[in-house]
Amino acid sequence: MVIEADGKLMTGRDVAIAALLGAQEFGFATAPLVALGCVMMRVCNLDTCPVGIATQHPGLRGKFTGKPEYVVNFMRFIATNLREWMAALGFRTVEEMTGKAKRLKMAADRGNQKASKIDLSNLLYNAADMDANGSHCITRDFLNDSLDVKKLIEAAKPALSNEAKVKASFAIRNTYRAVGTILGSELTRLFGSKGLPEDSIIFQFTGSAGQSFGAFIPKGITLKIEGDTNDYPGKGLSGGKIIIYPPKSAAFEPDKNVIAGNAAFYGATAGEGYIRGIAGERFCVRNSGANVVVEGVGDHGCEYMTGGNVVVLGETGRNFAAGMSGGTAYVFDPEEDFLGKCNKGMVELEFLDDREESETVMKMVRKHFEYTGSLLAGRILLDWNENKTKFVKVIPRHYKEMQKAIGDALKEGMSEEQAEYSAFETHIAGKAKEA
Amino acid sequence: MGKPTGFIEYKRELPAEREPEIRIGDSNEFQLTMPESALKIQGARCMDCGVPFCHSGIMLNGMASGCPINNLIPEWNDLVYRGLWKQAYDRLALTNSFPEFTGRVCPAPCEGACTLGISEPSVTIKNIECAIIDKAFEHGWVVPTLPAYRSGKRVAVVGSGPAGLACADELNKMGHYVTVFDKEDRPGGLLMYGIPSMKLDKRLILRRVELMTAEGIEFVTNTQIGKDEASLELLSGFDATVLCCGAGKPRDLSVKGRDSKNIHFALDFLRGNTKRLLDGLKNDNEFISAKNKRVAVIGGGDTGTDCVAVSLRHQCKSVIQLEIMPKPPDKRADGNWWPQWPKTIKIDYGQAEAFSVFGHDPREYCKTVKEFISDEKGAVKALRVVTVRWDRDESGRMKMIEVSGSEKVFDVDLVLLAMGFTGSEKELPNTLGLELDERTNIKTKKGGYKTAIEGIFAAGDARTGQSLVVWAINEGRKAALECNRELRYR
Repeated sequence: MVIEADGKLMTGRDVAIAALLGAQEFGFATAPLVALGCVMMRVCNLDTCPVGIATQHPGLRGKFTGKPEYVVNFMRFIATNLREWMAALGFRTVEEMTGKAKRLKMAADRGNQKASKIDLSNLLYNAADMDANGSHCITRDFLNDSLDVKKLIEAAKPALSNEAKVKASFAIRNTYRAVGTILGSELTRLFGSKGLPEDSIIFQFTGSAGQSFGAFIPKGITLKIEGDTNDYPGKGLSGGKIIIYPPKSAAFEPDKNVIAGNAAFYGATAGEGYIRGIAGERFCVRNSGANVVVEGVGDHGCEYMTGGNVVVLGETGRNFAAGMSGGTAYVFDPEEDFLGKCNKGMVELEFLDDREESETVMKMVRKHFEYTGSLLAGRILLDWNENKTKFVKVIPRHYKEMQKAIGDALKEGMSEEQAEYSAFETHIAGKAKEA
Repeated sequence: MGKPTGFIEYKRELPAEREPEIRIGDSNEFQLTMPESALKIQGARCMDCGVPFCHSGIMLNGMASGCPINNLIPEWNDLVYRGLWKQAYDRLALTNSFPEFTGRVCPAPCEGACTLGISEPSVTIKNIECAIIDKAFEHGWVVPTLPAYRSGKRVAVVGSGPAGLACADELNKMGHYVTVFDKEDRPGGLLMYGIPSMKLDKRLILRRVELMTAEGIEFVTNTQIGKDEASLELLSGFDATVLCCGAGKPRDLSVKGRDSKNIHFALDFLRGNTKRLLDGLKNDNEFISAKNKRVAVIGGGDTGTDCVAVSLRHQCKSVIQLEIMPKPPDKRADGNWWPQWPKTIKIDYGQAEAFSVFGHDPREYCKTVKEFISDEKGAVKALRVVTVRWDRDESGRMKMIEVSGSEKVFDVDLVLLAMGFTGSEKELPNTLGLELDERTNIKTKKGGYKTAIEGIFAAGDARTGQSLVVWAINEGRKAALECNRELRYR
């Protein structure tokens, strides 16, 4: 374990204090940003950064005056300043000073009355005194113990070296974390971001997967699991496919039971997911491009989602779609109780009445049925024309306007990039008119 | 918060000014007003910065950056954008005693520190401030408010410039009885007799003084405290005294021929002019006319510009304005980065007017006077002027070097010295026995306004040396706070 300190580190002195308190890594954000021209406007979320740092607006990006050299220079100052403090304290290396909290003492004169009441002695207590081994931790070699390194990469060799199709099965236990991730990185290293054709590598697992099953896997990898997964399955999914379904022998009803943990498909950017069963809280949070089907989700589903499509065939928890600014969710709501669970701050609720769109959703449900054998999906498909009227479409208001404007611009023959920019400009002009 | 995208959509716009060739025919204000809709758009340009610089008056590189009285600028910009003028006035009045003065005469260090100024023309903060207070008076929102109770303590404020007025206003609000003394016939100090009426209509000062009188403040004019021992008796019976008597000692030019006739200090010229205007063109004793004269103004600052503008209104024959420093650049020079006060060239009203009459900017840069040449009657008839060059010496300090062979002679009939001030006039501190600091300002305890004498405070230019109206207001308010503490807990 390595301890990192961050939070307003601005000078070499700050670094020295953090090191003496036990930090081994040091995070800087605000100060290097300021070195690049940030003026702490606190509008990073509004696309109006007047110094061109946190914005997509071409006009504002033109105002960016920073250079990488400024950050390099700033870090040199930090290093020089730290060196001076180390020299004053008599340390040769940062390692030597790590955790030497005894070298810190509280200032006697703390300026004002309130500050004089602060007692930092517990914070400055030297933990090394409690343990003769000192401040260093022993790192276990996680990577070489992983299922990927031990088995998966070897099994995927034909695909990785000859682009041949590969199929294999493995047992899995919940001590195996991030299964498929190293394999995915190998594949990306060889084939770049486009990956391999769909289903080039199909690995079938049986058992309980540990955290982050299939995290970040690229296109070409399909991971199926008969069993269940812990938290974060499909985290950062980058084009791959993940299929989760309960054991055939399971006595429970799949669509009434949780088989995937919290934060499934968190921050996914592309790919597909199918879960025969219910997923935990924060499902598809920050999803920006994956298409996922699930049979129920916990609280805060699709929070901060910016892209992709999510189909929920069962109930959702409360606060669904909070801060959702893009993408579309389709919730099967035969009981008509979804309205009360949705956070409508940024989204609109509609019927699924567009023929083309209904077709897309049906295809997703059909795939779900085929991949997972979901009886629920089967029942819905049996009477699609009736059941499609029971879907609620959840779409962010601004996203909808922008999608329409982009669509119109594309029809006028613009390139995708041009269309997006033109839609943005129209949007800004519209806002100007409101004022 | 303003409008998030306002600064991208709208350009900076200031109200129009009256045409120079017309406005030099009178002494009325030259600035016109802007319609509400246009002001709203200017308010929308405020970015409501996460870390605003406009409202934090600090000294950077020896110059003010941001508002010295910490006006809540982003807040009232937003309120103006939303059309909530009354609320905007309430917020403005919290920090600024006299927005109608600063809204007209402040050089606006707030705008120099405006974050938008990094890459675009800054928000028109000063003009928005002016519009808020003008509207407040127009709608009758500015009414006398009497303190809820009286402390029974009496305070004398000596001097009724911006520091004295602000100090008196605050002390009165805190419940003390305040009497303001001024040596002139009208209160206002430099606001009254320093700044000409084109920039600041004198009725605005009288309006404010009337308001303060209605609130219980007593004004005693034509009374110079400190000119002799007897005058000090007037201070007996007061529990405290705050000296806000300015830094009235003008910087002189001790070169050959300085004793020639028709060489005046700028303030004497400006005072005589304003007094004559206010007295219905009757009072001519102190009036110095520039009519049909070739005028040379020495000094390129605001007071110099005021002299140019007044000379034009007297119908002078010609006017030049000599500045010892080089011409400032069009854009910020390296080392003069935002949010420092931008040292860039500005065409002020006086120069614009001179341009409209004579077809050229009256300013001459890098010029210093070597000699005043007088005629047989002892009246000044010419200036011997030399051009200077500014080099940096080894220590990096700017050094002035006269350019050899650059000598020039200007024919003149009237010379106005507008080269700033060098500290307090001596009489008052001397009579009171107060110590002066090395820059001949009244010495106060470090970080405060107390002088060495119990119960006597000093604030404004008298304490800091010549500065801005807005710093003076800040000084007056802070000194009032300190004085109040003393009065309550002594």
